[in-house]
Amino acid sequence: MSIVKTEQLTKVYGQGATAVTALNRINMTIQPGEFVAVMGPSGCGKSTLLHLVGGLDQPTSGQVLLDDRSLSGLKDDDLTTLRRRQIGFVFQFFNLIPVLTAVENTALPLILDGMKQADAHNQAEVWLTRMGLGDRLSHRPDELSGGQQQRVAIARALVAEPTLLLADEPTGNLDSRAADEIAALLRQISHEWHRTVLMVTHDPRIAAHANRIVFLKDGTIVDDTRLSDDGQYEERVVREKMAVMA
Amino acid sequence: MFHIKLALRYLRGRKLRTTLTLIAIVFGVMIIVGFNAILPAISQAIQGNLSAMADEVDLTVSSETRGPFAMAVADQVRQVPGVAAVSPQLVRPMALPASQALVNKDGTAVTLLIVRGVDPATVTEVEQISLADGRLLTAADQNAILIANSLAQNTGLGVGDRLTLPAATGVMDFEIVGITSGRPLQGSEEVFIPLATAQTVFNFPGQINTIEARFAANSNADTVRAAVLAALGSGYKVGGTTTGSEFAAAMEAANYIYNMFGVIAIALGGFIIFITFRTVVVERRRDIGMLRAIGASRKTILGLILAEALILGVIGTAVGILLGYLMATGLLTGMQSLLEEFMRTSVGSPTLEPWVFGLAIGLGVGITLLAGLFPALAAMRVSPLEALRPSLAEVERRRAGRGAMVGAILIVVAFLTLLPGTVGLAALGILLLIVGLALVLPALIYPLARIFGRLLSIIFAREGQIAQGNLTRQPGRAAITASAITIGLSLLVAMGSLILSMQGGMMEWVNTTLGSDYLFMPPSLVLGGGNIGANEQMAADIAALPGVEQVTSLRLATSQIDGTDLQVIGIDPVTYPQIAGLIFSKGDEKTVYAALGNGRAIIVNGIFAAQNGVTVGDTLTLQTPNGAQTYQVVAVGGDFLNFKLATGYISQANLAQDFNETTDMLVMVDRAANADAAQVAAGLQQIAAGYPAFTFYSLAEWQTQMERTLAAFNGMYVLLIILAIPSLIALINTLAINVLERTREIGTLRAVGATRRQVRRMITAESLLLAATGTLFGLLTGLWLSYIMVGAMSMVGLILPFSFSYAGILLAIAVGLGFGILGALIPARQAAKLDIVRALAYE
Ligand SMILES: Nc1ncnc2c1ncn2[C@@H]1O[C@H](COP(=O)(O)OP(=O)(O)OP(=O)(O)O)[C@@H](O)[C@H]1O
Ligand SMILES: [Mg+2]
Repeated sequence: MSIVKTEQLTKVYGQGATAVTALNRINMTIQPGEFVAVMGPSGCGKSTLLHLVGGLDQPTSGQVLLDDRSLSGLKDDDLTTLRRRQIGFVFQFFNLIPVLTAVENTALPLILDGMKQADAHNQAEVWLTRMGLGDRLSHRPDELSGGQQQRVAIARALVAEPTLLLADEPTGNLDSRAADEIAALLRQISHEWHRTVLMVTHDPRIAAHANRIVFLKDGTIVDDTRLSDDGQYEERVVREKMAVMA
Repeated sequence: MFHIKLALRYLRGRKLRTTLTLIAIVFGVMIIVGFNAILPAISQAIQGNLSAMADEVDLTVSSETRGPFAMAVADQVRQVPGVAAVSPQLVRPMALPASQALVNKDGTAVTLLIVRGVDPATVTEVEQISLADGRLLTAADQNAILIANSLAQNTGLGVGDRLTLPAATGVMDFEIVGITSGRPLQGSEEVFIPLATAQTVFNFPGQINTIEARFAANSNADTVRAAVLAALGSGYKVGGTTTGSEFAAAMEAANYIYNMFGVIAIALGGFIIFITFRTVVVERRRDIGMLRAIGASRKTILGLILAEALILGVIGTAVGILLGYLMATGLLTGMQSLLEEFMRTSVGSPTLEPWVFGLAIGLGVGITLLAGLFPALAAMRVSPLEALRPSLAEVERRRAGRGAMVGAILIVVAFLTLLPGTVGLAALGILLLIVGLALVLPALIYPLARIFGRLLSIIFAREGQIAQGNLTRQPGRAAITASAITIGLSLLVAMGSLILSMQGGMMEWVNTTLGSDYLFMPPSLVLGGGNIGANEQMAADIAALPGVEQVTSLRLATSQIDGTDLQVIGIDPVTYPQIAGLIFSKGDEKTVYAALGNGRAIIVNGIFAAQNGVTVGDTLTLQTPNGAQTYQVVAVGGDFLNFKLATGYISQANLAQDFNETTDMLVMVDRAANADAAQVAAGLQQIAAGYPAFTFYSLAEWQTQMERTLAAFNGMYVLLIILAIPSLIALINTLAINVLERTREIGTLRAVGATRRQVRRMITAESLLLAATGTLFGLLTGLWLSYIMVGAMSMVGLILPFSFSYAGILLAIAVGLGFGILGALIPARQAAKLDIVRALAYE
């Protein structure tokens, strides 16, 4: 059983002369608990892939299956509910609501799902504490550092206990130390809490935390490599791959 | 609830903008509540009810015309089986001239008495008069008076004191013989005098206007009441005489105008709220996208924005109602002295009727929600991808075409609404015009921006060009800002012009209809407001004075046409047009007066004609004390004092014959060409001294007095300034969005070498362009709007010459452009301060 499966997934932006094929017949399967990094040159279709897998956008042809269920033909409301319960998103710019505190931001998906505020806040506190933010619960985003904001965003992505975590350049806006911490956190999420993580990144050091790297180029998969799973981060391997790709 | 909580947080996070938006709602609600709370208080004050409390007396009967009738009618009532006792009475308000006002111990003055002329022999048979001191009236009394306990206490008057009151014969001296206790039927200003004396004081010999009756103990009240009415025939009603019901129509018209003003203010508020929420949605596209990505449904997003609108609407409405009430209290206090001076009446506190709350809440909350709805719908459509992808500024496609067509049609229709000559339709036309303009503007922005842009580039060289480009790229957005200025400014110009036209026009009315060399003015400028007047002796004395060429007077009676109250003014068809004259909107001035003296003919004024659809050639059936009489309408026209009240003008001969009325309420005098002015004035003054119910003016004195009164209109300019505030808010909001949406663009400009100063100038140039466009249209629509408003005034009978001042137009241009600069300051500073790196990262 796979958690994510794409079948001939194709996305074409625009029409006629200006049409851009962002993804071209992508077939990819991700097993539960995998930590997959998607890499590739700018404009190769990484973000597009993530959007399609997360049900944020519709493919031109082909389909995405989550837990063997096709996303094609789901109505907007069903997709919304699916995102709320099964998928967690982490964005490059954190995207916290500026007027809400860390706890309130984290509790959002639960509250949107109709949970009582007290329960939602309890659960949010649990996840924030796991992210090492136990002492920052009622700070507002502008009172937190970039790394801390991203942890809040990750806590928010995980609070509804989704099976799949999607992250588009989650460290793109952080310095290298904060980036390393976030990458380690994602690895922990995959290894200890057995969530499936699909992450887009440019940074080989960050990608090295994953246990599988998919290389995209011009909308097709050009390489799919498993890294050893022994906790030995193989940044060197990644760099070599990148050199070959370029 | 989550929605409310998040909405509250957002609102608190943007305190300045929230406040500015709130002001827009508050202002509109305040105006509606304020004026609607004032008007009932004023009409209550004016429409004195002279009927006894229903349960104090078994039956009160008066004439439907509200006028006097023969005493013999009381005998008819006495004959009806079941009637045990009858008391004929003459009950009239009496305005006290300043010289005879009773001074209270606290320094205030009693300026109006309710005089009850009663037959001493019969009055105690129908009602209980209890005494605190002294005695009741007796058949032998002539100049005896009873005053109420409360009046005695307030003024310090007591039994044995003398009281001088104005009378149609000049003055009359009274001796206080008794003080009544208990609650006076007509309020604390109620006084009793013998009926015969009252008939002399009010110049109604042998007449009464109220009959009170007591029923036999074993009779059925309803049966007897019906029997009395049947015996009297048509023309009589149960209940006492009411005064001032002519005001009802005038009040309705005023109410209508103020409500229109409030609705326009709220509509402007709605427009601002719309722009604010548009800003909100643009600012939060990223937040909204994120919420959608993490599982908020479209409905949730819609609910979030609407919750915010709801909160603003509720708070704004609540504050607006409160301020409206305070405004009403303030205005009433301010008007108190005017009302006292010119109408001899005092007003109570503001009254809020339930429907006013309904209207205020409906409009305040309703318009806010409606204005929030469209941006909320736009927010609903924000894709979750917005959270992940840089949000590209919306690229507007040129679909101005169809909107402009619709707008042009609306403007044409707006003009057409003027044709039928109905005020309501013309007012609707104003709204159509505004909407039409808002739609046409986007198509016009491009050519206009080019014209003004060329002018601007003289001052701002390069920045001006960039600014011009920015505007033409987003014509829709630019149009919204420009139309905010247009609407605000056109209201300013229109109101300014209207006030100016009214000031000028009123003076012309005064000079035409009251432009005699000398005037004998009653204490209340509302002729029916308790003035005593004078019998024919005074005019005869004046006419006999050497050097007086001509004397004419206005007389007053009240009547009814099909249940509609009408005041009837008697003029002399020969002398009146020589000394003064009515202002006509229909009918031939040369032949009208002659027609008036010929059979039963009537001139009706504009407000009556408009409200009852009456025109020249119609016949009207007037209720008179002597039965129904048919009058032919020979013209539509009016005079200054009565243009607000439903009024008809007939000859004094007819007034005497049909209404038994010969009292002069206002007297105008012209001097002979060769007479010595000082001598004539001295002679007239001497006569005036014998009739303290009149104030004597020379034309010059009277004109200064009126000019001072009309200057009160200047206070209305304050309203104009308040009206301008919402436009400023709209402008700042729109410019702020502009800057926000282009944060990255500005960052890039800065990065490639634009100085802070240049950025600031670019934004300023942009708002100047918008302001210039808005100002141009504001002037055009404003003048047109005021033309409509002046036209609307003439539809209700107030014919004004349309006038506008060039200084006012220059001022409007200055205000418009000033707003442009002022509105640009905040966003321009913000834009210039932008951190380049952050601006570039902003997406
Ligand atoms: N909304 C859109 N309309 C048209 N073309 C688009 C759109 N979004 C993406 N594209 C195009 O699709 C291709 C893939 O875009 P995508 O954003 O997936 O790239 P990416 O791999 O995430 O690049 P980067 O590393 O720069 O983020 C690009 O060529 C891009 O120009
Ligand atoms: Mg990308």
